[in-house]
Amino acid sequence: MKVGDGVRIAGRSLTGHKLRSALTVVGIVIGIGTVIIFASFGTSVQTDVVGEFEETAASEILVVTGDIGLEPGEGDFGGTPMPGNLDSFALPGLTTHDIGELREVDGVDAVIPRGGIDSAAAVRYEGQAEPHDVIATSPSAFPESNFLNGSSFRQGESGSAVMTEQAAAAYDANISVGDTLTLEFSDEPETVTVAGIVTQARGGLDLFGGFNAEVYVPTDPYYQEYGDTARSAAQGVDQAAYRQATLVAEPDRVTGTQDRVERYFETESDAAAVLEDGVTVQSAADIVDGIESVLDDIIRLVSGIGLLALLVGAFGIANIMLVSVTERTKEIGIMKANGARNREVMGLFLAEAVLLGLAGAVVGIPLGLAVGFGASAYAEVGFTVPYGWVLVATLMGIATGVVSGLYPAWRAARVDPIDALRYE
Amino acid sequence: MATSSSQPVVSVESVRKEYELGGTVTALDGVDLTFEAGSYTAVMGPSGSGKSTLLNLIGALDTPTSGDVVVAGENVAALSEAARAALRGTRIGFIFQTFNLMPRLTAVENVTLPLMFDEWDRSDRRDRAEQLLADVGLGNRLDHLPQELSGGQRQRVAIARALAADPELILADEPTGNVDTETGNEIMSLLRDANNRGNAVLLVTHERRIAEHADRVVNVTDGVIERIEQVDHDTPVAGEQR
Ligand SMILES: Nc1ncnc2c1ncn2[C@@H]1O[C@H](COP(=O)(O)OP(=O)(O)OP(=O)(O)O)[C@@H](O)[C@H]1O
Ligand SMILES: [Mg+2]
Repeated sequence: MKVGDGVRIAGRSLTGHKLRSALTVVGIVIGIGTVIIFASFGTSVQTDVVGEFEETAASEILVVTGDIGLEPGEGDFGGTPMPGNLDSFALPGLTTHDIGELREVDGVDAVIPRGGIDSAAAVRYEGQAEPHDVIATSPSAFPESNFLNGSSFRQGESGSAVMTEQAAAAYDANISVGDTLTLEFSDEPETVTVAGIVTQARGGLDLFGGFNAEVYVPTDPYYQEYGDTARSAAQGVDQAAYRQATLVAEPDRVTGTQDRVERYFETESDAAAVLEDGVTVQSAADIVDGIESVLDDIIRLVSGIGLLALLVGAFGIANIMLVSVTERTKEIGIMKANGARNREVMGLFLAEAVLLGLAGAVVGIPLGLAVGFGASAYAEVGFTVPYGWVLVATLMGIATGVVSGLYPAWRAARVDPIDALRYE
Repeated sequence: MATSSSQPVVSVESVRKEYELGGTVTALDGVDLTFEAGSYTAVMGPSGSGKSTLLNLIGALDTPTSGDVVVAGENVAALSEAARAALRGTRIGFIFQTFNLMPRLTAVENVTLPLMFDEWDRSDRRDRAEQLLADVGLGNRLDHLPQELSGGQRQRVAIARALAADPELILADEPTGNVDTETGNEIMSLLRDANNRGNAVLLVTHERRIAEHADRVVNVTDGVIERIEQVDHDTPVAGEQR
């Protein structure tokens, strides 16, 4: 028997019992649909987040004091970065001397230190106080393209600040460049003029960019005055020290530069002398790997649930196929009397099971993609079709058919033609 | 009447068939019989005498407990399952009392069934099936399902199917058992036509009136051949019923 004929005959048997076939397929549809929903939504989130991060941070190297465990694949959620939270658990150890030395490392274009000014309790504008973070950083944190309005403050000059658009939007009154803000320090308030408004700042683990409302001031003089300090072993004095800094590397030399930066911290840095755990040096690529591995874990977990549904569906197919073999005992006898070999009978029944599994995939995949698309639209991330998972789901449908059809088909092949022909 | 030198299409030698059902049931108890190519034989006997058992053995649907069944030169018991299936599909055509058509296949598709297992091309086998259905008078019922046909029409589809692969041997087990007398006569005349075209026919029946359509009648009782008679047709040319 030719394969095409077999598939046609098998299809005829299935369409002969439309409702029964449809109900059998439902289990597979649910299983495959679930897998595809989460795979497509997960992949979309992954692509969106990672894409955004890579775009802005591809050549950045992050230096954080302490061992913050950003390595990918370190335990279940070991790779989860905690945006904006670093200040609470890392110790200040990157001294001003270290920052200066890092600027001299081969391959480093710019060093952007970053430190929160904790004593600033709120930022006031025209009587409205908002609990924005006040962050000291350097002008390199604001590439030209990040400015919506105005320009950066200058290092060493007090009295001007840069704020994010989210920070500005928090006020009822419209804030524009040139307006005056009051930083509510614990001792005495200080006024600054808004020099520029930006979409976001470079540096810091700001993966989900756009959520943070922050006001930035120059490290000199603000961090020098209000920030943390550590002892510089190299210079023998206490000086301003940071918990994190972002290095902008020459785009083609990120890896080599990262190595040289790590070597600096292992050997001569102040940070090494001050900090027990040393520093963590990571490039955007490392962090992206971390996020990806976490999302992969989540997709795999939920897909496991889909597989369970698929397993239930497989029992459904096996059950209905066994019923079908009994019902069609006589047909099996007729086919054998007309020259059907055992393996052809087996093939026919297996083809039916595989068609059921495949039908589950054909219905479940578009359904899953549609729901995944809806979820992505709802979460406002760009939709990405997970082609790999579509292939996997198709294969799973086929495999489910094969596995669940094997035993019933074997039973069919073993039917004795004489008994079958006598069967009423 | 026995024509001679050609090799018999079937030879049955000292065949016994026993069924184990608590005790042993002996369905055939030492049967020797040969069927010449192109011959027309009826096996007649009362219910339970072993007629269907003999036919199933000759049809390679079953193997004997002892003795040999040789069909078209092949010892059935020595063949592999696949070779036995191929023998059934291409060298033997079956006609059953209960028609045994595939319920979800149309008349044409039912007729093409043995050709499908013999891997014929789709258009070739459709042409052949249409021709055969036209020959049995069903040229206008090609795409009907079995349930849309009368009993006599179904049996004619079954005859067309049995002839599809142009087998050396047609086996018919009570082919008129489920149809009225007139339709039965039509069916017998179709079998006679097939025999006239050179297909050997083995007919199983318990009715002498039907058995006498054949050229030779083998009488079976309790699993043994009681006697073999030659039929003297009043009019040896086909198509008459009396
Ligand atoms: N599968 C089987 N298992 C047990 N005994 C069987 C089986 N098939 C046939 N027999 C027995 O073998 C004997 C012959 O049966 P068979 O079907 O050949 O009779 P038959 O001559 O065709 O009868 P009928 O005219 O009623 O069809 C019977 O006694 C029957 O009970
Ligand atoms: Mg019988």
